[in-house]
Amino acid sequence: MHERTFRIIWIAITGFMIVFSPAENHAGCGEKTKFCIGLVTDVGVIDDKSFNQSSWEGVQQAKAELGAAIKYIETRDAKDYEQNIELFAENNYNVIVTVGFALGEATIRAAKKYQKIHFIGIDQFQGKPVKNLVGLVFREDIAGFKAGALAAMLSKTNIIAAVLATDMVPPVAAFNRGYEAGSRYINPDIKIISTFHPGGLDISFTDPEWGASTAGQAIDQGADVIFSAGGLTGNGGLIETATHKGKYCIGVDTDQWDTVPAARACLVSCAMKRISPSVIKLIKLAYKNQFPEGNYYGEVSLSSFHDFEGKIPQRIKNRLLEIDNNIQSGKIKIPDYE
Amino acid sequence: MIATIRSFIIPVGSVIFASLIGGIVLFLSGSDPIEAYAALLKGAFGSMTSITRTLVKATPLMMNGLAVAFAFKAGLFNIGTQGQFIFGAFAASVAGFFIQGVPPVFHIFLALIAGGIAGGVYGAFQGALKAYSGAHEVITGIMCNYIAINITDYLVNHPFRDTSPGNIVARTPLILETSYLPDIEGIPGGFLISLLSAVLVWWVLKHMVLGFEINTVGAGPDAARYSGMRVQRILLITMLISGTLAGLGGALEIQGVEHRFQPGFHTGLGFEGITIALLGRVHPFGIIPASVLIGAMKAGANMMQFSAGVESEIIDIIQALLLFFVTAEVFFKKMIPGMRWQKGEKLSLRAGWGGKV
Amino acid sequence: MITASKAKTDSKDRIFFFLSGILLLSIILYSYWISPLVTVAILTSSLRQSTPLALGALCGLICERSGVMNIGIEGQMLLAAFFGFLVNVWTGSLLLGVISGIAAGMLAGIIFALMTVSMKMDQIICGTIVNLLAAGLTGYFYPTGINATGKLKAYSFPFLSELPLVGPVLFRVSPIVFSTIILVFLVHFLLFFTQWGLRTRAVGEYPRAADTMGINANIVRFYNIIIGGFFAGLAGAFLSLEAVGVFERGMTNGRGFIALAVMIFGKWTPIGAWGAALLFGLALAVQTQLQFDQVLSIPHQFTGMLPYLITIIVLAIFIKRNRPPGSLGVPYEKK
Repeated sequence: MHERTFRIIWIAITGFMIVFSPAENHAGCGEKTKFCIGLVTDVGVIDDKSFNQSSWEGVQQAKAELGAAIKYIETRDAKDYEQNIELFAENNYNVIVTVGFALGEATIRAAKKYQKIHFIGIDQFQGKPVKNLVGLVFREDIAGFKAGALAAMLSKTNIIAAVLATDMVPPVAAFNRGYEAGSRYINPDIKIISTFHPGGLDISFTDPEWGASTAGQAIDQGADVIFSAGGLTGNGGLIETATHKGKYCIGVDTDQWDTVPAARACLVSCAMKRISPSVIKLIKLAYKNQFPEGNYYGEVSLSSFHDFEGKIPQRIKNRLLEIDNNIQSGKIKIPDYE
Repeated sequence: MIATIRSFIIPVGSVIFASLIGGIVLFLSGSDPIEAYAALLKGAFGSMTSITRTLVKATPLMMNGLAVAFAFKAGLFNIGTQGQFIFGAFAASVAGFFIQGVPPVFHIFLALIAGGIAGGVYGAFQGALKAYSGAHEVITGIMCNYIAINITDYLVNHPFRDTSPGNIVARTPLILETSYLPDIEGIPGGFLISLLSAVLVWWVLKHMVLGFEINTVGAGPDAARYSGMRVQRILLITMLISGTLAGLGGALEIQGVEHRFQPGFHTGLGFEGITIALLGRVHPFGIIPASVLIGAMKAGANMMQFSAGVESEIIDIIQALLLFFVTAEVFFKKMIPGMRWQKGEKLSLRAGWGGKV
Repeated sequence: MITASKAKTDSKDRIFFFLSGILLLSIILYSYWISPLVTVAILTSSLRQSTPLALGALCGLICERSGVMNIGIEGQMLLAAFFGFLVNVWTGSLLLGVISGIAAGMLAGIIFALMTVSMKMDQIICGTIVNLLAAGLTGYFYPTGINATGKLKAYSFPFLSELPLVGPVLFRVSPIVFSTIILVFLVHFLLFFTQWGLRTRAVGEYPRAADTMGINANIVRFYNIIIGGFFAGLAGAFLSLEAVGVFERGMTNGRGFIALAVMIFGKWTPIGAWGAALLFGLALAVQTQLQFDQVLSIPHQFTGMLPYLITIIVLAIFIKRNRPPGSLGVPYEKK
């Protein structure tokens, strides 16, 4: 290359650097007419086809219904939780949604610091209530119980499996507890083969290939219903199961029929935490200044059977309804948190 | 004088070129590069808190970078800094909440020492495997990283779990305030300690017999052996010191920032240490600016995402470009024709898989 | 002198591997006799989990045999997984996806080769650049909200798949898993019995001598890096198109680095690396099985360490020193 060309580039860069000027803050939140909602994800992506995504969908719905301004930040480094929350708080957002138990401590600190802002902490159980913070929590064990019951009733081999991200995370552990209890409730002799991701917490939710090969290994030894819980890892297990004929899989968190279409061939149902409706409900309460404190229990349920609606015998559906009633009336007791 | 100018041209030029190309990428993907960079700068240096944040981010990077660079000097590729860092962090947090009733300053140092020892012992374990059984440090390093994560995950979930009421998360209790690292004039204590470590590393390598031996082994173990050095011992000591640096980095992170050990909070720091060491051209005084630079990018990335809507992965691309320009000095030699370049400035790490014992 | 001692350790090694192979085989046969279904499940799973490692190791060793140290395999795999998946979504064709995945791996190889061979930059740095670039590009340009609808499915060979034990394990497999087995032997043959292989090894051991014999060391390296990219690309395509069916950011999760370990473990030979990959895959599958069966009620963090511990123990006690190609990591400059 010629020297002159390089010199021109050099000058161009210098010019570029001079033009450099700080941009204005364009949010404009904090004014009375504007309602702003911010969301901070756990380490993970906004479209995780699981809990980050359904939380965001709730916020998006709030935009549609309340005309709110919305924005999210994906957390890259777990040490940035606090900073990311503060980015919203400093810009006078009205509601800040933080997704995941891991943000619990950072959210509490922020809530105490910014008392005018309403905080919604998803999966964050509140031991000591803070006035402007509500923990949106779910009885995952109940959802897991129903999933387990369904799995046990569907299984022909009497072997069912669970592919789980980690036992270190309370929601996943609760799902698993419920799943085992539910399947044993139907059939005390059922064989449950369940695994947690063997690696550290940092990759246990983001290793779809492990989820897939583990689901494969379970199917190869006779398991015919796979409960796959744990972010991307779980999604890998669902998609793998879909490639095996005549096997069922059960998804988790949202209705994964919509989020993981590749799994539709096996996806009989999902153990859902109705995050989006709960988020929108809490946001509306904040909008009306009727924000609750402490813990708000969101609804859990099994999703509809979609394509399997006609294939599942009425007997099973009736039994599920009966279980539902018994849980509500307290006839069936599921071990609670801790 | 010219030498000083020259030593600045490459890094400064690299930053400019990398951000320029990064800007083009931003522009092509529909973002406003000026707005994005302005937000990045504001997030990294816009206020006193953001400067502090930059330095906080730079601290573990610098420690890991020093650890990797130190091992490189002896021809060892310490890819296991991640595990050493994690063990250091864990040991410091245990020392932080277990040891009670000691004076504050003393407690700080006890926890730091615990972290350093934990990392150092783990590093020395890998060094010993290398020196006495010939097991390759890259393999053992990678494997030891996974093992360290699994062991600490177990310890945090079971024996050392925080049992305070209301806690549902796997983590250790908070360390006592007596072991917190203080800020000095707004500058995080951890950053100062890492600066001190950089100077110390430079001193050891430049002025101590050990440093000379390490460099000789790095240049060629055979020559070192013929000149009567005990190569195996030197490899072991190198890994011990390298691991200690990484472990100390973990301790600084716990005592300065997090105040408790939480699994999954240190992902990727070890590998970033490799980037830093290379960016700093495997020299302690190159590693300092390199880690501040990358620290600033990490600190500003969130602000960039918030106010310019730019995905923070762009900083990975910029880092790669930076590393490219810093290394590809051919590029700059052509650009500044009047400048005389000395022969042999080319950066070569000498460390292969080789590192014969 | 060197060759004599080398031959001695070689034959010792052979005996060791032969004996441990027989031991392993008899354990497998015994467990097949006890519970065929579980044994087949474990073996299938280990073959599958070894595939990306073996392919990554092939990429590594083709580069390294010609003297180029490639720690950018992780990045090459990630890029390939990304582009393979995108093309699959755009065109709806898995085959095109696999091809473009391979192309992406080779393209990353070209970038790597330009830096290491043409610009003579340090090879560790170049590998790190590739890794960073891959993480950045795939993360930054990842289009949210796209979904694929399927992945490469297993194919059953007629007759062969009906055989006991080997049938379901070897002949009821997905295409990339199966081609990996063939590729391992193919590369072994090419490396040790063809002119290309001879040249590659000559360049890797002593480029100056190769040069005097009229072999252009840099050209050989350049091509080998690109050929290596083929295998890394296939490994990436395996992850996103055959194993999982979707691309996720960072989905390689360190497999490229484990592939490096596998390559060194296998002493820079294709079959050796494959054996090491299989052993690693077996350890992964066995730890899953231990959790399934809950025979030992130990925390999963400890069973999860099994593959890594086994690697260290085998390496430290049984294999010990590995000798890398002579000129590894040193850019070759003509005098």
